[in-house]
Amino acid sequence: MASAELRIIRRRIVSVQSTKKITRAMELIAASRILKARDRVKAARPYAEKMAEVVRNVGRASGEVQHPLLEKRDLSKMGILIITSDRGLAGGYNSSVIRLAEQRVADLRTEGVDARLYVVGKKAQGYFSYREYHIERSFLGVTDQPGYGDARAIANTLMEAYASGTIDAVEVFYTEYQSALNQIAAGSPLLPITPPDSDEDEAGDGVAGPAVSYSYEPDPAEILGRLLPRYVEADIFGKLLDSSASEHAARQRAMKAATENADELVKVLTRTANQARQAEITTEISEIVGGAEALSQD
Amino acid sequence: MRVDVVSPESIVWSGEAEFIVAKTVEGEIGILANHEPLMAALATGAVEIVPAEGERLRVGVHGGFLQVFENSVTLLTDRATLVEGDVDAAREVAAALASEEDVDDTRAVADEGE
Repeated sequence: MASAELRIIRRRIVSVQSTKKITRAMELIAASRILKARDRVKAARPYAEKMAEVVRNVGRASGEVQHPLLEKRDLSKMGILIITSDRGLAGGYNSSVIRLAEQRVADLRTEGVDARLYVVGKKAQGYFSYREYHIERSFLGVTDQPGYGDARAIANTLMEAYASGTIDAVEVFYTEYQSALNQIAAGSPLLPITPPDSDEDEAGDGVAGPAVSYSYEPDPAEILGRLLPRYVEADIFGKLLDSSASEHAARQRAMKAATENADELVKVLTRTANQARQAEITTEISEIVGGAEALSQD
Repeated sequence: MRVDVVSPESIVWSGEAEFIVAKTVEGEIGILANHEPLMAALATGAVEIVPAEGERLRVGVHGGFLQVFENSVTLLTDRATLVEGDVDAAREVAAALASEEDVDDTRAVADEGE
């Protein structure tokens, strides 16, 4: 004949325990995903590094070659690319990158620059459309396991908008994966392309190593024309991978904390339940004793 | 000379080689050690590598760049797969990679902004 209070507490314990099973499972899934995501970050690095090296060499060798993607324009419309996840339950992962981007949008607005949003992931889409920001384009279903094709699609959209003059520059907001414990929301310029720093001139004389005189097949302008879009793609791809690894790491941490909280909660609730049970027994005993007393008195 | 064949998602092959044949947009090109600095756009086709040790390798390649610089050859491919078989097999693989690209581009669900 459990009292109402006891029954309610017991029901809560069961519910917390089943939640804990879910968070524990999510923690384990996220942990296995981190490893995969980190491998992908590592595997993509050689290409990105070589690409940077090639762009640097070509840029240096071709000197004053003009290309629309390199040209700095007067800024009146800024494209903002925000990389978030499709699913939540990842602690502060989404909110910190969204906050950073929103701050940037506000800053741009005070400077009189119009921000155009390009979002990756349902979380940013939901956040910004709820607040009635105008979203130019959203890319969904990308962030769990970004492929190079995804990066290409995003890069093409941005470069088209850039070429048509819809936007004058692009900044990308993503989450940098530093370690399993440390991921930092960061912003960096994407377009126009700032050629990778050629500041390997240890002499500091402004001459960045020997200029390589390449022979080109076909001519330098065309090579650069093919190369730069690839560079943008590789840049975005790297950031998608970084963000994906960060997402899984953040989720693992959040779910670990949730699992631990559930344990703690079960402990507290069990104690309360025991107290309630004991109080009930005490009341019952005193009722019986009281009853017997009353009977023996006459 | 050192040869690195990389694609955006991985290193396809990396090692010392004696000779390499690749297909650029302007035609086939053979590269031996100490080739002059070169920057070329790759076409869809087969790349043959004669490594310093071991069997001749073939790679199906679709698009990208070839850089020769300080006795090191870098193939920055858009797509590449190591192929077991002859040059024709590698060409077929390259053609398949080229057609994959179109499929891939439509994979990302891109919604028009509301």
